[in-house]
Amino acid sequence: MYTLGIDIGSTTSKCVILKDGAKEVAKSLIVAGTGTDGPNRALNEVLKKANLKLEDVSYIVSTGYGRKGYRLANTEISELSCHAKGVMHLFPKVRTIIDIGGQDAKVLSINERGRLAEFVMNDKCAAGTGRFLDVMANVLKLDISDLEKEARKATNPVQISSTCTVFAESEVISQLSNGSSRENVVAGICKSVANRVATLAKRLDIKDEVFMSGGVAKNEGVRNAMEEVLNTKIVYSKDSQLMGALGAALFAYEKSIKEE
Amino acid sequence: MSNVDKLLAKFHEAATNPKKQLDSYLKNGKKVIGCVPVYTPEEVIHSFGYVPFGVWGADVQIKEAKRYFPAFICSIMQSILELGINGEYKGMSAIVIPSLCDSLKSVGQNWKYAVKDIPFIPMTYPQNRKCDSAKDFLNFTYGKVIKNLSDIDNIEFDDKKLAKSIEVYNKHNAAMRRFQKLLSEKPVLTAVERKDVYKSAYFMLKEEHTDLVEELNEYLANAIYDGSKTRVVTSGILADNENLLKIFDENNLTIVADDIAHESRQYRTDAPQSNSALDSLVEKFRNMDNCSVLFNKDKVRANYVVNLAKENNAAGVLMIMTKFCDPEEFDYVIIKKELDNADIPSLQVEIDRQMVNFEQANTMIQAFGEVL
Amino acid sequence: MSEEVKKKKKYVPNPNSAKYKLGKIVEKHYKEAIEAKANGEKIGWCASNFPEEICQTLGIKVVYPENQAAAIAARGAGEKLCNIAEADGYSNDICAYARISLAYAKIESAPEQDMPQPDFMLCCNNICNVMIKWYENIAKEKNIPLIMIDIPFNPDKEVSKEQIAYVKGQFLEAIKQLEEISGKKWNENKFKEIMKISNRTSKAWLEATSYCAYKPSPLNGFDLLNHMAVAVCARGTVEAAEAFEVLCKEYKENVKEHKSTFRVEEKYRIMFEGIAVWPHLRVTSSGLKDRGMNMVATVYADAFGLLYDDLDGLIRCYCGVPNSVCLESARDTRIDVAKRTHAEGLLVHTNRSCKLWSGFMPEMSRQVAKACDIPLTSFDGDQADPRNFSEAQYETRVEGLAEVIDSRKGDC
Repeated sequence: MYTLGIDIGSTTSKCVILKDGAKEVAKSLIVAGTGTDGPNRALNEVLKKANLKLEDVSYIVSTGYGRKGYRLANTEISELSCHAKGVMHLFPKVRTIIDIGGQDAKVLSINERGRLAEFVMNDKCAAGTGRFLDVMANVLKLDISDLEKEARKATNPVQISSTCTVFAESEVISQLSNGSSRENVVAGICKSVANRVATLAKRLDIKDEVFMSGGVAKNEGVRNAMEEVLNTKIVYSKDSQLMGALGAALFAYEKSIKEE
Repeated sequence: MSNVDKLLAKFHEAATNPKKQLDSYLKNGKKVIGCVPVYTPEEVIHSFGYVPFGVWGADVQIKEAKRYFPAFICSIMQSILELGINGEYKGMSAIVIPSLCDSLKSVGQNWKYAVKDIPFIPMTYPQNRKCDSAKDFLNFTYGKVIKNLSDIDNIEFDDKKLAKSIEVYNKHNAAMRRFQKLLSEKPVLTAVERKDVYKSAYFMLKEEHTDLVEELNEYLANAIYDGSKTRVVTSGILADNENLLKIFDENNLTIVADDIAHESRQYRTDAPQSNSALDSLVEKFRNMDNCSVLFNKDKVRANYVVNLAKENNAAGVLMIMTKFCDPEEFDYVIIKKELDNADIPSLQVEIDRQMVNFEQANTMIQAFGEVL
Repeated sequence: MSEEVKKKKKYVPNPNSAKYKLGKIVEKHYKEAIEAKANGEKIGWCASNFPEEICQTLGIKVVYPENQAAAIAARGAGEKLCNIAEADGYSNDICAYARISLAYAKIESAPEQDMPQPDFMLCCNNICNVMIKWYENIAKEKNIPLIMIDIPFNPDKEVSKEQIAYVKGQFLEAIKQLEEISGKKWNENKFKEIMKISNRTSKAWLEATSYCAYKPSPLNGFDLLNHMAVAVCARGTVEAAEAFEVLCKEYKENVKEHKSTFRVEEKYRIMFEGIAVWPHLRVTSSGLKDRGMNMVATVYADAFGLLYDDLDGLIRCYCGVPNSVCLESARDTRIDVAKRTHAEGLLVHTNRSCKLWSGFMPEMSRQVAKACDIPLTSFDGDQADPRNFSEAQYETRVEGLAEVIDSRKGDC
């Protein structure tokens, strides 16, 4: 039996197809999120890779920002539950998940039974989200994916502490005009995101192991800063962006078994 | 349309059209007095034959009020001033604004210059309520409100009339408490329908509202509930946004009790028997508690919320946090701790009156439902 | 090496100077409290505007969390402590003094400014209702008594006799509670003595601030923000009275000798509205000084100069502190100060931490500026959380204010 999970985020769409709720058959990731053709493209791509037709899929669970409007889904489950599910499937020792996406930052706490026990999310301010990094990358005339490379070169990260994105922007500009190097500023920005999210994380008991997922987790600069701030090792997978879709596919398998 | 649907439609109509309610009272020759959160002496206003009319702002974009408030003042206060400036309360003879929190103090001061056609009546409550000297002081400050109300039409204050108004209010309190109790036993209404019952109370004379609530209570007493929803308790200042409340029903959550200032907190305490009606009102305020804007050195509200959840067999508590409401933000930490100690799951959802996108709230509440 | 020694020598302050004496008083204040705690005495955490006369009369040691938070913020640890409170679930919208204090109550150590942990809390809400919530939470977390004197926000210009009676009732109740907690007895004669000393201190403090009115001013207005700590924590002591009297003498001499602690030419005289931006004190101060802009007026400094004749008068003073009065009273006090000191511009700190101070400030400052016919500008900042301030914004606004004052002068 094939089941499919689709994670429709604010900036990306992801799909995973599983065979019998265990073996990953195919996955896809399209940089275009809810309200675009991204979900369809991600679906077509994953089906093509798996060499399957839509009819071959027994059950679809949608998750993510755009989960509600997705008509092909048999049911929808929040990305919080799906993330937890996906990560636990691959990394059963994880007890804390830090997920930083385009709009949201969230911290999930997993109980002994591997289930989502508690969670917190960012307040309305963008300072700890991918959006913040976008704005800052733009100020620095860098591509978001270059931030990591730049941060790695840093020798003496500057401090960027403003809570407000607009103020942080002016902090970055004044650091640059005061002669701080771009790489040190970038490292400072990464640290600022880590600091904001770490404060959020501390509202829950941070238990090892800690896993980072979401688009921002790709940025090694933020991961390293997070390790430093939380004083713990961060587990990471290159597929971290796909955890929601994987969890959705797992739920899809469980749901279809139950309904049968 | 069944009888109960007609009844619910009446609540909905009043709750969602305050301006219409206001205009209809005015058209019938009634004088209307605005009542700003969290507590005002409505009974006193009622005893003059005026209509006490709730003024809790609305979900609107803040434009004009920005001239008066910085961005970090809570949106309830901002929107009250915004609507005042925009003429939404036009026709009111006065507005009573208490100073129970710092932002409320500012609303009153700004009101004088921002909305000149509706006179501001300040209401000062003593925070050290149990202290003996609070009694005389509260008598004095009620007296000042009374003086202001008397001046509107040169009507003398009459303690006997106040006694009658207190009866009306105590009766309404009882009806509202019974409503919540019945709903806890049989949570058959949606969160929006439930909200309509609470919200409409602000825009109707209480005697009219009591009649409707009692009718609804009779229906609830005989209703049949199949028992499949997840029971939750809400806590906070305000939770009246329909887009927020719909999320509850979409996720099969039902509110079986609340600690919301705009809802049940209003109806917990009756005015007791006393030497005079005014004294009775003084005692009522001194007896009030379990509220973020009422001083309590033992912070008993935390336990109150824990017990509310337990007594109502709730699976969890949703803390609906109005952004920038510092009294609630302080209480939250202590309440959360007590809930954790009692192993009651809880979730904080931040809202404000300018929110149009409830996606994050949606995700959080759905996931909370999944956790429960 | 020799240069270093030289440098150090240069900075030895004159032990007879007011600055030195005032610094010592604050130092002694914390030292004595820490010692008293070590000796098993009970220590209170006290709101800045709680009637200090009660504690002085009873001989009870208290420390002031607001002073501590300001000191911690000024020494660069505001963000660190705010983060600790936020990790405990406190919103970053909450007053940063409160966040720092709640964090300190938890971690019980801050090298930037340590003080003993409390055995009881003394709360007064005449400056804001946040005091209530903040002290409630610490009392609850520590399971210690909380004594509260409620001084309601006064919507009228006059303080009513009923309000005085209400506060007096609580005042007497507080004495009773403190007698029980401390085992010490109230002495009416000592109270009279303390009232006398407090008045002497207040008088000297107000006189010192009044020298701002001279043109040019013999002092840098920012000095007052630093000296204010003594007006808060030691008003009822003879040392404080004496130190402020020395300060007056120094300012008087400065006037005579055409000297000033504002060490550049005074080109502009402004009124500064709000609490100092403690985490960015240097930047905010030099942003003014570099342009020859001196702060000659602030309502905040005068707030701690309370003059009265008797208990009723004392209570009336506590009912009239800046944040407890209506817009008209607050406005008129400011107009008076601005006119008295010939302020030429108004710089308003929109303080993210203080909702009450900022909540009707736009309207009030407009009225003040209009009545005094002076330009007005505001900037975003925070009394203790460094993350809510932008140096670039501040510089631009101050620059703008200077330009407007210039162009107005040119018009005359």
